[in-house]
Amino acid sequence: MSKIFICCWLLLFSPDIFSQGVDEDLIKMRQRLDSVLSFQVNLQLETDISFINMPVKRALMRWEKGKTVQFTTKDFILLPKRGLDFSLRTLFEYPFVTLVRGVATQNGQIIKEMNVIPADRRADFSIATIWLNTSLRRVEAAEISTQKDGTYFLQMHYRLAKDIFPDRVAVKFEIEKIKIPLNFMGKGTQVDKEKLKVDGMKSGKIFLNMSDYLIRMIGS
Amino acid sequence: MIEVIGVNKNYLVDKTHPIKALENINLKIEKGEFVSIVGPSGAGKSTLFKILLGLVTPDSGEITIEATSVKRIGGIIEKPALYEYLSAIENLRIFAGMQGLPTTRIALEEHLIRVGLPIHRKDPVANFSMGMKQRLGIAIALLNNPSCLILDEPFTGLDPMGVVSLRSLIKKLTAEFQLAVFLSSHLLEDLNQLCNRLYVLHKGRLIRQGNTQAIMNACTHQYLLTANNLSQSTSLHHWQHQLKGDTAEISIQPGQVSDLLAALTNEKIEITSCIPQPDLLLLFEGESV
Amino acid sequence: MKRLLITECFKLFRQSKTYYAIASILIIEGIILISAYFEGTNIINLLLDNLRKTFYFNGTLLNGNLLQYLVLNTLWFHLPLIIMIVVSGMLTAEYKDKTVQTVLLQPVRKWQWILSKYIVAIGFTVVMVGLLFLTSYWLCRGFFGEGDLVVYLDGLSFFPAAEAATRIQWSFLAGTISMVFFAVSSLTLAVILKDVTKTWIVSALFLIVCNVLLKIDLGTDWLNQYALFKLNDTWQYFFQYEIPFRIILLNWIVSVFYIIIIAAVGIFIFHKRDIG
Repeated sequence: MSKIFICCWLLLFSPDIFSQGVDEDLIKMRQRLDSVLSFQVNLQLETDISFINMPVKRALMRWEKGKTVQFTTKDFILLPKRGLDFSLRTLFEYPFVTLVRGVATQNGQIIKEMNVIPADRRADFSIATIWLNTSLRRVEAAEISTQKDGTYFLQMHYRLAKDIFPDRVAVKFEIEKIKIPLNFMGKGTQVDKEKLKVDGMKSGKIFLNMSDYLIRMIGS
Repeated sequence: MIEVIGVNKNYLVDKTHPIKALENINLKIEKGEFVSIVGPSGAGKSTLFKILLGLVTPDSGEITIEATSVKRIGGIIEKPALYEYLSAIENLRIFAGMQGLPTTRIALEEHLIRVGLPIHRKDPVANFSMGMKQRLGIAIALLNNPSCLILDEPFTGLDPMGVVSLRSLIKKLTAEFQLAVFLSSHLLEDLNQLCNRLYVLHKGRLIRQGNTQAIMNACTHQYLLTANNLSQSTSLHHWQHQLKGDTAEISIQPGQVSDLLAALTNEKIEITSCIPQPDLLLLFEGESV
Repeated sequence: MKRLLITECFKLFRQSKTYYAIASILIIEGIILISAYFEGTNIINLLLDNLRKTFYFNGTLLNGNLLQYLVLNTLWFHLPLIIMIVVSGMLTAEYKDKTVQTVLLQPVRKWQWILSKYIVAIGFTVVMVGLLFLTSYWLCRGFFGEGDLVVYLDGLSFFPAAEAATRIQWSFLAGTISMVFFAVSSLTLAVILKDVTKTWIVSALFLIVCNVLLKIDLGTDWLNQYALFKLNDTWQYFFQYEIPFRIILLNWIVSVFYIIIIAAVGIFIFHKRDIG
């Protein structure tokens, strides 16, 4: 983490960085997303974390510009902090610069790989890599290294070419192995102490399936 | 009718020293007969009763009980064991119920009336006197009309009135139900009044058996005589005696008592009581003091 | 036999000590419920603290299902102790008061009489666990509502509310079989020891030893699965994410086998022994 931070810091003071600014395609993508005033979607959440067993959960998600996201559900639900930010707004909250790493063509679409580097210490990430579909003006994938919460990877899937928001998001992240008090609740837990020392962080995945979007755009 | 042939019972207190509780016991009690058994403490009376009642298995021997009802024999061992937290009628309900007898209020009250217990008391039996508990114990023993009744020391703990009352109840029930009754008691004077025959048990063996009066007479060589102005009697001096006021302990054979009483009457001595004093050592162990 | 069963039930429920036992169990349940509420809050905070970095939470885990689960968890020592005292007292009190003699002076078969005690003891145990289940169900849901249940057993498992309630019901059933095992054992100890105090002490010792040995590795899989005392936490299997029904059924069959054997031993000894 500290190495990444040092790299970013060096990059920031590199004369080349100041001449980068923000990529035009990214700006276009943001403008497209900014035209959304609010949306509502049915969310289905599946977890794939080795030490968590949870059935498929359902919730209704409502977002309105300038307001916090709201969830309506009957059950207890774990909602990934990062995966629900489809528009990646948290990356753009504070001043940032972009650095294009490369361009590739995938299924006839132009995919631009770029780093997003925060220019403000208040940003809660150190570096992010996004794969931007320049043809359709949307993010296909993103890898974000946060200051405190490790690195997570988002893979978006869109049903139609014209869709602004994905119908499926896979979130891959790292999570610290839970330290449970041994006399809590269950059987006398067999704790593999050796395993705990070596393998403290676990990876996990959450799959979000979205359906029945109700989107309100500017001018509608 | 109860018949016991050659019953033996040993108890193993430790593996090397068995205790002979009963040795070659033979006895018989006919229907309607009142038989008692006496002996010092530890003679084996309770063990014999428990064997007759089926609570203890003898090591050898045979026991025959002729009966028409499904409950051949009823009894009380030592003290009547009752459910102290239940009332009298509830105790009867339990014991009657487990045998399939009617447990209606009327049926149960009949049992209480039979033994002279009040029918309206609802408090636990723990509040009853010993005499009342004995009566209830007898009522339970008589459930299902057994043909034999065994009573182990039924008069223990009773006051004199209680003894008299229980004695007359036992007599009445014996006559009413034509029971064969086998009881033990330390009150020898009561046995004389109640029982036709007597067995004497000593260290697990029967040392005497026969007519109660005859056995008592054979062991009686002293009488306690109380009379007004007894000290003025001259005929008393024919027998060895110890005089204390108006009471004298006289060493005399039973056959000679009538002569003594006649002589005292001739002297115008007013006799108030003449009580035989059986030699207990002779009675229980066969040896005189 | 039916008459004997009725008689035994009548005696059991006419004694004040039975009601003291029922009241004790309900008081213990109440205390456990209150402490479970506070313990539950602390533990959930501890659990979710680690997850807070990655997740938002919507809904509450501190609900009736969790509290009933915590009550379930802590009940399996206190409950059998009280049941063993009441059940063993069904016989030791009769020895003490010598009513055993009075009963066996009636035309009643010894083995039938003692068998009726075993049956009533089992019935009493089932009623007690049922009472606990119903009271905890109503109290927990009445005060704390329903919701998902979180359980930690080799991993964190979340069960939806309805499924959690069903699992809890099944686990109470599994626990009932364990309680019956202890009840029958205490009655057999009463047959052997006869004395009230000795029977209590040995019954408590038996319960403690079973709880201690539950966690010991006996060396082989077979022993670890089917030894006498290893079956008493079968109820836990209902909180594994995938319920191993086959293992549970086998455990139940073996438990019932143990119960029958222990009861048979008690009946045999009682039948063969002299009374008094």
